[in-house]
Amino acid sequence: MKNLTFLENMKLYVGFGPASSAALREAHPLVAPHFGPIIDDFYATIEAHPGARAAITGGAAQIQRLKGSLLRWIDEVFLGPHDEAYFERRARIGRMHVQIDLPQVYMLTAMDRIRVQSLAALRAGSALRTEDAERMITALHQILDMELAIMLETYREDLLAKNRTAERLATIGQFAASIGHELRNPLGVVESSAFLLSRRLAQLAIADPGLTKHVEKISAEVQRSNKTISDLLELARSRPLTRRPVAADALVAHAIAASSLAAGVEVQVSGAAGVTLDADLDQMSRVLSNLLVNAGQAMNGKGRVSIDVRREGGRAVIRVRDDGPGVPADLRARVFEALFTTKAKGTGLGLALCRRIVDAHGGALTLEPSGSGAVFQIVIPDAAAPPG
Amino acid sequence: MRRVLIVDDNAALAENIAELLELDGHETRVAGTATEGLAHATSWSHDVVITDYRLPDLSGAELVRRLQQLGLRVHAVVISAYTDDSTIADARSTGAAFVPKPVDFSALGRLVRA
Repeated sequence: MKNLTFLENMKLYVGFGPASSAALREAHPLVAPHFGPIIDDFYATIEAHPGARAAITGGAAQIQRLKGSLLRWIDEVFLGPHDEAYFERRARIGRMHVQIDLPQVYMLTAMDRIRVQSLAALRAGSALRTEDAERMITALHQILDMELAIMLETYREDLLAKNRTAERLATIGQFAASIGHELRNPLGVVESSAFLLSRRLAQLAIADPGLTKHVEKISAEVQRSNKTISDLLELARSRPLTRRPVAADALVAHAIAASSLAAGVEVQVSGAAGVTLDADLDQMSRVLSNLLVNAGQAMNGKGRVSIDVRREGGRAVIRVRDDGPGVPADLRARVFEALFTTKAKGTGLGLALCRRIVDAHGGALTLEPSGSGAVFQIVIPDAAAPPG
Repeated sequence: MRRVLIVDDNAALAENIAELLELDGHETRVAGTATEGLAHATSWSHDVVITDYRLPDLSGAELVRRLQQLGLRVHAVVISAYTDDSTIADARSTGAAFVPKPVDFSALGRLVRA
């Protein structure tokens, strides 16, 4: 027996064939006049449900775009052709839903709204013969169920892949943690020996610049190693969040104070007043401070960093923009990977840690495409709309 | 001047801590295990005990408790490379101060003088 594709198998299962495609094409002119109201209802329902709404971060402009995509989507449901390419496009939509963290339940419930209203449109307004109406209704049920099956399948695949990555990270994390702890002791010895050595040199009144330089080098490098280890351990530990309403301007001030930026770095803040975030102040401040320190380093300690805060559809958006050289397009996707760095003396852990913290908040940390400089964007729930 | 007992199975670190404290004028003894530390404690009256949390035989917190049971009311500092909440809480439950490794020696110096 020939190996059936996922699609062929489904079609066979529900009995979807060329006649079903034909029935849907016949139904198209009957339902098409109702597409507008169906789509408006679809997004009105999402906006009424915090859990579903949370997946939409781009505000009204994004909804407008999504409405356009949904119109094409629903048009294709009726017009087909219901071939492999059609279902491949559908699978991509499923994956998109995983990416934006839309809870699965909303795929099912949202599909139900389209189904109920399309059926109502079919049943109303026309003088169809009962058997024709039945053919169309059956075909509509079949195609919508297959759409769901596809979305759920891609959802499951992506979720599995996501989990595998998380597991791998956890294993690496545990491994890194045990090495980190082991290295802290010998580093402590090196550090204290260097300190004792410098004390001894002072005591013996030996002022040899070469000797002093080497002792200083040892101390500096030990400190850098300690920092790497602390970051690694922090990455492996995943501290639980202590969330509370945090004023954005207080968060920004906290982060700036923690960043010890070079005197030549000017920080310009806008829009922070009046925005309150639902966040762990310490951890989120760490994220922002990390972005500021990176920005300062990217500009070699001289230039302007702007922090722009605004509310957008139940979420707070914080953008950190610098005047530096920016991140080359081919490296953009990698900057959040653990142990990846573009700095000569970076540990490659800062941004990985930042992303983990923002993810834990149910938010997203991204590097935005930009003409010049680097633009990092944090999107997290604001305190006015706690996660549903 | 304080009499400081240092317990750490990393001998090099214990010696360095001792040397640093001696530079500040303190008197020190070094032990590599809790058992050895307890033996020192009964024969030498110290004011401060600095102990690693993970010792080969007992935990540093347990060592502090044993010292307290022996009626030795000493000022204790637990140091550790493990800075998870349960380690810190266990150490502090004895009344000891907790100092993470890598040890900040000026902070340790202040604790010894306190």
